[in-house]
Amino acid sequence: MALLSLTPFLSLAVFGLLATPAGFLHFRKSKLGLAPFVCILGLAIALVSTVWLGFTSPSPVSFGGFQVDLFTLFFSGVLLIVAIFVTIASLQYMREDPNKGPFFGLLLLSTLGMIVLAASMDLILLYVGWELMSIPTYALTAFRKKDPNSNEAAMKFFVLSALSSALIVYAISLIFGVTGSTGLTAIASSLSTAGPDVRPFGVLAIVLFIVGFGVKMAVVPFHMWIPDAFEGAPVTIGAFLAAGAKMAAFAAAFRVFIVGISAFNVDFYSTFAIVAVVTMSVGNVAALMQKSFTRLLAYSSIAQAGYILMALATPFTTTNVPLGLAGGLFHVLNYAILKTAAFVAAAAVATKLSVTDLNSFNGLSRRMPQTSLSIAVIFLGLAGVPPLNGFFSKVMLFTGSIYSPYSWGGYLALAALINSGFSMSYYGWVIKRMYFDEPGDESSIPEPRIYMAVLWVATILIFAIGLYPDPWIRLVQSAAAALVGSRGL
Amino acid sequence: MIGLLSIAIFLPAVLAAPTFLLGRKNPKMAKILGVGTTAIVFAISILILVVFQYGQAGFQLSESLPWAGSFGLNYKVGIDGISLPLLMIATFLSLLSAAGSWDQITFRHAEYYALFLIFETGIIGVFTSLNLILFYLFWEIVLIPMFFFIGIWGGPRRKYASLKFLIFTYSGSAVMLFGFLALYAWTGTSAYPGGPSFDYDVLAARIPNLALPLQLAVAITTFAGFAVKLPIFPLHTWLPDAHVEAPAPVSVLLAGLLLKMGGYGLIRYNLLLFPKAVSVLWPYFTTIGLITMIYGASVALVARDIKRMIALTSVNHMGYVLLGAFTATVAGVSGAVFQMFSHGLAVGMLFLMSGYIHERTGTRNIDELKGLRGKMPQTVSLLFLASMAAMAVPGFANFISEYLVIQGALSVSYLFAIAIVAPALTVGYFLWMLRRVAMTPPEGPKNELHLHSILILVAFLVPLLIFGVYPPPILGSVIAPTVEKWVGTIVGLGAR
Repeated sequence: MALLSLTPFLSLAVFGLLATPAGFLHFRKSKLGLAPFVCILGLAIALVSTVWLGFTSPSPVSFGGFQVDLFTLFFSGVLLIVAIFVTIASLQYMREDPNKGPFFGLLLLSTLGMIVLAASMDLILLYVGWELMSIPTYALTAFRKKDPNSNEAAMKFFVLSALSSALIVYAISLIFGVTGSTGLTAIASSLSTAGPDVRPFGVLAIVLFIVGFGVKMAVVPFHMWIPDAFEGAPVTIGAFLAAGAKMAAFAAAFRVFIVGISAFNVDFYSTFAIVAVVTMSVGNVAALMQKSFTRLLAYSSIAQAGYILMALATPFTTTNVPLGLAGGLFHVLNYAILKTAAFVAAAAVATKLSVTDLNSFNGLSRRMPQTSLSIAVIFLGLAGVPPLNGFFSKVMLFTGSIYSPYSWGGYLALAALINSGFSMSYYGWVIKRMYFDEPGDESSIPEPRIYMAVLWVATILIFAIGLYPDPWIRLVQSAAAALVGSRGL
Repeated sequence: MIGLLSIAIFLPAVLAAPTFLLGRKNPKMAKILGVGTTAIVFAISILILVVFQYGQAGFQLSESLPWAGSFGLNYKVGIDGISLPLLMIATFLSLLSAAGSWDQITFRHAEYYALFLIFETGIIGVFTSLNLILFYLFWEIVLIPMFFFIGIWGGPRRKYASLKFLIFTYSGSAVMLFGFLALYAWTGTSAYPGGPSFDYDVLAARIPNLALPLQLAVAITTFAGFAVKLPIFPLHTWLPDAHVEAPAPVSVLLAGLLLKMGGYGLIRYNLLLFPKAVSVLWPYFTTIGLITMIYGASVALVARDIKRMIALTSVNHMGYVLLGAFTATVAGVSGAVFQMFSHGLAVGMLFLMSGYIHERTGTRNIDELKGLRGKMPQTVSLLFLASMAAMAVPGFANFISEYLVIQGALSVSYLFAIAIVAPALTVGYFLWMLRRVAMTPPEGPKNELHLHSILILVAFLVPLLIFGVYPPPILGSVIAPTVEKWVGTIVGLGAR
C-alpha cells in the first residue's frame, strides 16, 4: 500500500524514458509524433495520483530519506501543473521542431527531479534530485541548436548552475563533517546540540546553501543568468525554468532550512530578510527598465522570489499556524500559475510576431484580444490586486512577517508592500501599452487555440483561487504543517 | 442569507458579463443594459432607504458569511448613518453618470458599460463592507476600471494621466494595506481571545487595548492610503491630470465617488478606529486639511480650463472633510459626512455640464467660452445654480455642511478661523469664472442641449436643494445618531 504513494514518481520515470523513443513513432500523417502524448499521459497520471494521494493518505509515508507527505504532494501538484501547461503550450511552440522525442523526454525527467527534491529528507537524495532537475534543463535551454542566443543562454545558465551544484555539494560535505549524517532529521538533532568548535563550519555550510540554492532561486546578487536564460531559451522552457525549476529550488530550501538547519542556533532569518528585500527591490527596479517582454518577466520573477523568501525569514514557532510559511507555499502555487501563464502568453506573441520586444505590445489588445486580456489579468495578479490569487498569498506572507518575533518583521512587511505598490508601475505600463497605445499595424492576428486554452484555464484558476481562497489556504496550511512536522522534533 | 446590500453590491458585476457579450455586436444594447442596471441598483437603494431604521446608531441590514475562515476572513456588510448617505450618492451618481455617458461616450460601448458596472460594484462595496480585507478588495476593484476609463476614453494626455493615477493610488493603497495587516497581527496575539480577525466590529473592540505606538503606526499608514485618494495637498497631483483627461461622466465618478472613498475611509477606518492615536495626531491632520482647502482654492483661481478648475474645487472641498473629521466633534464629523454627500452632487453636476459644454462648443477654455449664454441659455442658468451650490450659498446643502465643518473647527480652536479664507477664495474663483463665461454679451447661434441632458443635470440639483432647505431627514435622523455614538468614544482631544 505504501508503494502506491510512489505512483507520481514512477509514472514520471517510466513515461520519461518512453517519451524519447516514442518521438520516432507517428500517427498516420500527423507531424506531431507520439512523444507529447506520452508526456501528457505521464504527467496526467502523476497529477491525478498526487491529488488522489493528497485526499486519501495525508499521513506521511517514509522510505528512509525519501518522504511522501503533504508538503511533497503540494509541491508535486504545483510542479506537475506547471509541467502540464508547459507541455501543452509546447505542442504548439515546438510544432516545427524535428526532435520532439528528446524534448518531451527531458521535460519529464526534469520534472521528476523537481518532485524528488520536494520529497527528499536526505541531502544525498536531494543532490540527486537537484542534478536530475538541472541537467535536462541545460539541454532544453540550448534546444534551438542553431540559434546562437539559445546557446549563449544555455552556456551562462550551465556555468552558474554547475557552480551552484558545486557549492551545494561542499555545503553537504561540511554538514556531514559536523553532524556525521546526511539525513535531515539526524542533522537537526545533531545541530541542536552542536558545540562552539563546529559552529563556524555549520555557519559556512549555511552560507554555501544560501548561495547554492540562491542561484536557482535567482536571488540577488545571483540573478544575472535569469534574464539571459529566459530570453535565449525556447519561450515555453522559460516558463519551465521560471515556474518549475525555481519553485523546486524553493522546495529544497524549505526542506533543508526548516527541517535541517532551523534547529541550529544561528540567525539565518535576518539573512533571508535582507536578501528578500534586496531581491524584490532590485527585481522591481530593474523590471521597469526592460525593453523586452521576456526580460521584464525575468525581473518580475526575481522580485516575486523576494516575496517568497520572506517565508524563510519568518520563524515559524511564533504561532500555532506557521502563517508566513503557509503564505510562502501559497505564493509558490500562485506564482507558478501566474508565471507559467505569462510565459505562455509570451509564446503566443512570439509565435505570431516572432519578437517579444515591448514595442510590439503596443495596441496588442486590438490585434490579439484574448492574449492581451489574459496578460492584463496575469499582471494584475502578479501585482497583487484583489480578487486575484496573488493578493491572498501576499497578504498571508506579509502578515506572517508582521507576526514575526523579530522587531524588523513589520519593516520587512512594509518594504515588501512598498515594493508591491511600486511593481504596479511596470505591470501597469505594459497594460497601458496593450490597451491605450496605437498599434503600428492594425491587422488582427489569429490566436493559436492551444495557447488560448492554456491561458483561459490559467485565467479561470487565477480568479477562482482569488475569489474563494479558503480551500487553498487550508491546503497550504496543512502542507506547511507537514513540513514543520517532518522535523520529527 | 443574501440581503438587499449584497444584491446591490453584486448585481452590477453579474450583469457586466451580459452587457459586454451582448453589447459587442450591438452598442445600443450595451447602453440599455448599462443604464438599466444602474437604474435597478438605484431602485434597490431606494428600497434600502425605506427599510433603514432611522435614528438608530448601529449597523443595519448586516450580512455575514464565512469567506476564508481559515484566515479569519468573513464576508461582512452593513450600513449605518455614515455609510447610508454615501451609498445613496453612489447609486444616484452612477445612474446619472451612466445616463450622461449615453451621448458623451462614442466608442467601445460594450467595454465601457461592463467596466462601469464593475466600478459600481466596487464603490458600493467600499461603502458597505465591514471587514478590512473585503474593504480593501472593493477599494482595488474601483481602481482598475478607472484606469481603463481614463486610458481608453480620456483626452489627449490620457496615457500619462491614467498611469499616474494608477501608480499613485495603488502605492497609497499598498501602504494602507500594511496598516490593516499590522492591525490583524497586533490584535491577533494571545492577549486577545478569539483569534486574529479582520472584522471591523471585532477590531473596534480590541483597539483601545492596543499600545499607543502601534496605534500611531497603523493610524499613520492607513491615513497615507486614504489621503492619496482624498487627496491631500502634497499627494494631490494625480487628481487634476486624471480629472481633466477623463471623459466627463467618468470625472463625475472620480470627483463624486472615488474621492469620497478617501473621506469615508478616513472617518470609518482611521478616526473611529484609533481614538487614542487621533488624540495625538489630530493637530497635524487638521492642519493638512486646512492647507489642502486653501491650496486647492488658490490654484483653482488661476486655472484656465474649466474642467481643471472644477477638479481643483474638489481638492479644496475635500480639505473640509479632513478638517471636519479630525476635529472629532459631532458638528465637524457630521459636517464632513454631509460635505461628502453634497460635494459629490454639486461637483458631479459641474463635471457633467463641462462635458456637455465641451461637446457643444469644442472648448473648455474659460476665456474662449465667453458669451455662452447666447449659445446655451438654459445650460448657463444651470451652471449658475451648480456654481452657487459649490460656493456654498445658503439654500444649498453645501452651505450646511461647510458651516458645520467650520463650526466644529472653531469649537476646537479659534486658530481655525483661518479656514474662512477657503470659502472666500471659492466664491472668488467661481464668480470670476461666471463673469467670464456667463456675464459676457451673448454670442453665436443657439446650440442648446437636448431635453434629456438638461433633465439629467436638474436631477443633481433636486437633493441639493431639498436637503439644503430642510436638512433634518438626512442630518438629524441618519448622520447625527451614528456620529454622536462614535464620537462619544473619542475622548481627551488635546484642545478640550
